[in-house]
Amino acid sequence: MTEARGFTIDIDQNSYLPVSGSQVDAIVTVTMTEATDAAPPTDNALEIIIVDCSTSMSGDKIVSARRATEAAIAELREGVSFTVIAGTETAEQVYPSLSASAMASARTRAEATAQVQRLQADGGTGIGAWLRLAAHIADQHPGAVNHAILLTDGQNGEHPSQFAAALQDCVGKFTCDCRGVGTDWEVQELRAISSTLLGSVDIVADPADLAADFRAIMGTAMGKRLSDVALRLWTPPDATVQFVKQVAPTVEDLTSRRIESGKRTGDYPLGSWGAETRDYHIKVHLTPRHVGEKILAARVKLIQTGSDEELAQGLITATWTDDSALSTRISRGVAHYTGQVELATAIQDGLTARKAGDQATATARLGRAVALAAASGNDASAQLLERVVEVIDAPSGTVRLRAEVTAADEMTLDTRSTKTVRVRGGS
Amino acid sequence: MIMSQFCPRCAEPAATADQFCEGCGAALRVNRSGTVAAAAAGTQRPCHGCGQPFATQGRLDGEYCPCCGLHRRDGTDHIEIDLGALAGVSDRGHVHVRNEDAMALGQRVAGKPATLAAVVCDGVSTVHTPELASRAAAEIALDILLEADNAPEHTAEDRAHAAVAAADRTVARLPAPGRRGAPCCTLVSALVNWPEPGRPEITVAWVGDSRAYWLAGTEAEPARLLTRDHSWAAEMVTAGVLDTATAMADARAHAITQWVGAGSAGEPGVLTLRPAGSGALMLCSDGLWNYLPGSAELAAVALPMIEHGTGALKAAAALTAVALERGGRDNITVVVIPITVRSPS
Repeated sequence: MTEARGFTIDIDQNSYLPVSGSQVDAIVTVTMTEATDAAPPTDNALEIIIVDCSTSMSGDKIVSARRATEAAIAELREGVSFTVIAGTETAEQVYPSLSASAMASARTRAEATAQVQRLQADGGTGIGAWLRLAAHIADQHPGAVNHAILLTDGQNGEHPSQFAAALQDCVGKFTCDCRGVGTDWEVQELRAISSTLLGSVDIVADPADLAADFRAIMGTAMGKRLSDVALRLWTPPDATVQFVKQVAPTVEDLTSRRIESGKRTGDYPLGSWGAETRDYHIKVHLTPRHVGEKILAARVKLIQTGSDEELAQGLITATWTDDSALSTRISRGVAHYTGQVELATAIQDGLTARKAGDQATATARLGRAVALAAASGNDASAQLLERVVEVIDAPSGTVRLRAEVTAADEMTLDTRSTKTVRVRGGS
Repeated sequence: MIMSQFCPRCAEPAATADQFCEGCGAALRVNRSGTVAAAAAGTQRPCHGCGQPFATQGRLDGEYCPCCGLHRRDGTDHIEIDLGALAGVSDRGHVHVRNEDAMALGQRVAGKPATLAAVVCDGVSTVHTPELASRAAAEIALDILLEADNAPEHTAEDRAHAAVAAADRTVARLPAPGRRGAPCCTLVSALVNWPEPGRPEITVAWVGDSRAYWLAGTEAEPARLLTRDHSWAAEMVTAGVLDTATAMADARAHAITQWVGAGSAGEPGVLTLRPAGSGALMLCSDGLWNYLPGSAELAAVALPMIEHGTGALKAAAALTAVALERGGRDNITVVVIPITVRSPS
């Protein structure tokens, strides 16, 4: 474990490999402590609030969206830049009127609130266009903690390739938390945005809950201190990185996001960071060596993107042994998170099978999910699963599919399937 | 007479008139060497995997090669030290990542025949930095054993006790961060004095399960194990609870009941031997005696290498080779001191 400027990296692994063993698994825990002098809450931040104003938002939804946006504006710290975008098939900047941002003050908050109250639901849904405008404004704030909230209630009307291109153009410019209101939106679509832009996704089934949710998102966003951090991974010449996954607080596969940054070194962007802890599961494949050899399987550094500044470092090692008492031990963290990742996959597989009418697969996969959730103490997932299946025996995963499941319950389970719990009883 | 331009313990340059090393305080009027000297030289070696020169000391990952990631060998994988009158071999073995055994051996330059001393220590592998414990213990114990005598009323046994006590204090002061136990190790030492030429007096002290054997081919002074392990197995056997085979087969067999370092308790074993016939004194860690526990078998390997007080290194190397051939599952350290006794006639 090392500590530098308020960050710590802890490694949980069994470094002993059996004869001819080649797989090294480690859980890397990155924490930024509250009492850090790394960077005070910065005013060098931009908040972009994107509100769906398509026709489907009419009625309760637009009223709640206005209220939620007002709540978010009220949470803005003095001096933080912000903008509000109304989304239809195009994107319109509601406040300020120019394609720039305003600086939060009593006056600008009041002006923005007045504009938000005039938001009307009238038009189509072109999420790619909304993201492009957000990226354009974020471009004016390089190096700042740029963050967006995106609210929608429906499916995107754009051509998938058009949407994908817009999304890719936003990478590294801002992070984005997505919220789907009601049950007519597409989980996959919003998950693609939040995943690509290193943010969260959640359902707000009841529009009345939107304001509280926006307030919470903004509170978290205002706590971010560093805009762009990345995991920098060095591996030896004959090693292959099999995967790098965020496993807490949610499951996110980062493997394909690697950016080569030097000889045998690659960076995995993690977005902005506040006083928080995230866990990563790293799996490295090594060429087996003789019993008694020890090797550095990976050096893990936390860096601030663009500066090469090392915020913390941890070492993942491998030692070959013929003592099976040593090599067969599985680290608690690795075992736990392997289960959590399987839990997320089982839920998603089960829901997909259920939609396709494949009752047998749905029952088997959701049953497996119930067993995993119970064994790992993931109570939130266990409770959500119970609204979709009737649990007969949790430890064995014996379940029966419920005949009547509300769309909201099904979507909530799907959206929150990637939420994990940390190892019980500390690490 | 000065043996080298450098301190044999820490490699600090020394002027020929110096009595003590400026760097570590070791007595320079002593010809000595050991694991610490080998490790100091070994850190300069290139990586054994890819040949990259060693240049990253002081970094968190400095113990790994920056090029290929291999754990650096510190020069203690295989050490052979030949001081003529005594010699030692220490080997990492085939299984362990590093050599946590240590040896220190030396002779006082003044006096003929010279006073000889040797120490073998075995770091307890479940604790923090066991290799630092064994190295520190071996060095300080040898210091005390060979230090110029300002108090002639002190017997060799007093000195042996003092050496163990100093090792104990030194190891107890080593840092012990984290969840692993504080550094500790075993120790076996030998001090060979010559009250009169041809009539040696050998003083052995031990803590833990490193051993001293007397090896001889004649009945004048028969070959035998001199020490009695401070280990779970040995205590079970001594107490009459278990027979040797059952005790040694137990998972706890090698758990030591006394050690050098923080929290140690009990007195070291100390004995004096005035051999009636020639032979060799042998000190070893359990990496050797696990494979070859019997004094007759050990003598059969070692004695053919020894002729007229020479061949100590060959004997130590032959014993080490047997342990390696039979598996080398632990670190192996062997020191051999040939002893020639002139018959009193």
